[in-house]
Amino acid sequence: MLDVWVAGADMTRVGRRSERLQDLMAEAAHGALRAAGLERPDAIVVAAMNPEEFLGDGNFASNVATCLGFAETPALRIETATSSGAAAFYAGFAQVAAGLRRAVLVVGGEKMTHLDTPRVSELIGRSIDPYERSYGATMPALAGLVTRALMAGGVGAHAIAQVAVKNHAHALQNPYAHFRRAITVNEVLESRMVADPLRLLHCCPISDGAAAVVLTAERAAVRVAGVGQGGDTLALRHRAELTSFRATQAAAREAFAMAGFGPERVDVAELHDAFAPFELISLEDTGLVPPGKAGRATLDGETALGGRLPVNPSGGLKARGHPLAATGIAQLVECAWQLTGRAEGRQVDARVALAQSIGGLATNNWVTLLEAR
Amino acid sequence: MIEGIGASQCPTCAALVAPPASYCPRHPVAMRPVVLPGAGEIVSFTTLHSPPTGFRAPLHIALVELEGGARFVCHGSEVRGLKIGTRVAIEAIDSVYYFSHLGAVDRARLFWRRAGRAGDRVSAIARSLAKRITKGRHRASS
Repeated sequence: MLDVWVAGADMTRVGRRSERLQDLMAEAAHGALRAAGLERPDAIVVAAMNPEEFLGDGNFASNVATCLGFAETPALRIETATSSGAAAFYAGFAQVAAGLRRAVLVVGGEKMTHLDTPRVSELIGRSIDPYERSYGATMPALAGLVTRALMAGGVGAHAIAQVAVKNHAHALQNPYAHFRRAITVNEVLESRMVADPLRLLHCCPISDGAAAVVLTAERAAVRVAGVGQGGDTLALRHRAELTSFRATQAAAREAFAMAGFGPERVDVAELHDAFAPFELISLEDTGLVPPGKAGRATLDGETALGGRLPVNPSGGLKARGHPLAATGIAQLVECAWQLTGRAEGRQVDARVALAQSIGGLATNNWVTLLEAR
Repeated sequence: MIEGIGASQCPTCAALVAPPASYCPRHPVAMRPVVLPGAGEIVSFTTLHSPPTGFRAPLHIALVELEGGARFVCHGSEVRGLKIGTRVAIEAIDSVYYFSHLGAVDRARLFWRRAGRAGDRVSAIARSLAKRITKGRHRASS
């Protein structure tokens, strides 16, 4: 297996955007290519969760390649629900590691804000088991079930709220973030109930945006140290465990095994906080914090900028925003920027960065490790 | 009355899933049909305040662990007083499953089927009823 390097990374500002998705993807892709000093990639991997229904567009790899001005470059599309961006990164990584391509452009994005919230919820909810969906289960509903079980296990409402507060505070320093507004624990705890005990300010927003990286066999400043994928049952009811995600644990094991080091080497992390309690679960599933300690670590400021292990310096899904298939790549863009001193205002002194992405209700998860060389 | 719920069991890992499925989620083998008693314990529950189209708010959804370990998703009309671990009965109305708090007779039936010796059965039923009455008092006084 060849070493694979992140030669360039870029993303759009996340939020409510008026541009077409293809134009957002072009902005991110051309930015990443410029950063890599590359005129033309050998291949393109496109991540989009559901452009068929969000936009009405199909054959999306060719659609995007053509819009980028690379109609004749081989392109394919990857989809693993909300972790599609991380999956596309893996597909690009695998092509370069195998020696099949020398330089691959990975670009992901989603456009959602032009649809009303119930419709967006319904489309995202298609990734849920059909039987559970027939009972009205949405992503927030399943996350509500998980959150109640987590709280029954001793995780406090303040620790969960603090995740959202911290990530909003981080996003104040990120010009690419959807929300650049501080919130307080009380605001979180008094926000509208969505799926009891989950409230509005525990949940990530509906966002538009795109992100891209260029992966090369040629040496660059950041190396892909490890990538891991983990799976779990589509149905939540088929799992014995609600408060940890097997798919993250398996992905982390695989990524760390490939990297040849453990969680103690990680200096900064981007975790999938689509719902604030998921950051606490993910901290433990990735081994960054010992089991049962994520709430305490968060309340003690360990995971805030300036703490022992800053988590979601970008603002995370909660405040940077969650344009579905862009997210897994946007996390890696933030990691690459952190490792190359390009995260102005929120810079962590970091050599190793971890990104974790959750697909569906933790059915198809990814852990990716980047290392500054 | 405790209803029977159609389920499947994996011949490899013995896992039970409900409703029935052709293949085990974790093993590529055909599962055998089984019927489980429609009663169990609340694993978790939530209330959706803006449910999807076709459902009325508030929508109560519960994850219930049936005897034998199969977990089951169902609706409920009420979550007041409901806790993780609460024993509930499950019944189908128009082929949609709902949970409800177990009545005394249902508890007696459950214990009767499960417990071993006759004396244990009787004392289990008595304990269950006593617990229910003291709980009711506790709630009334608070």
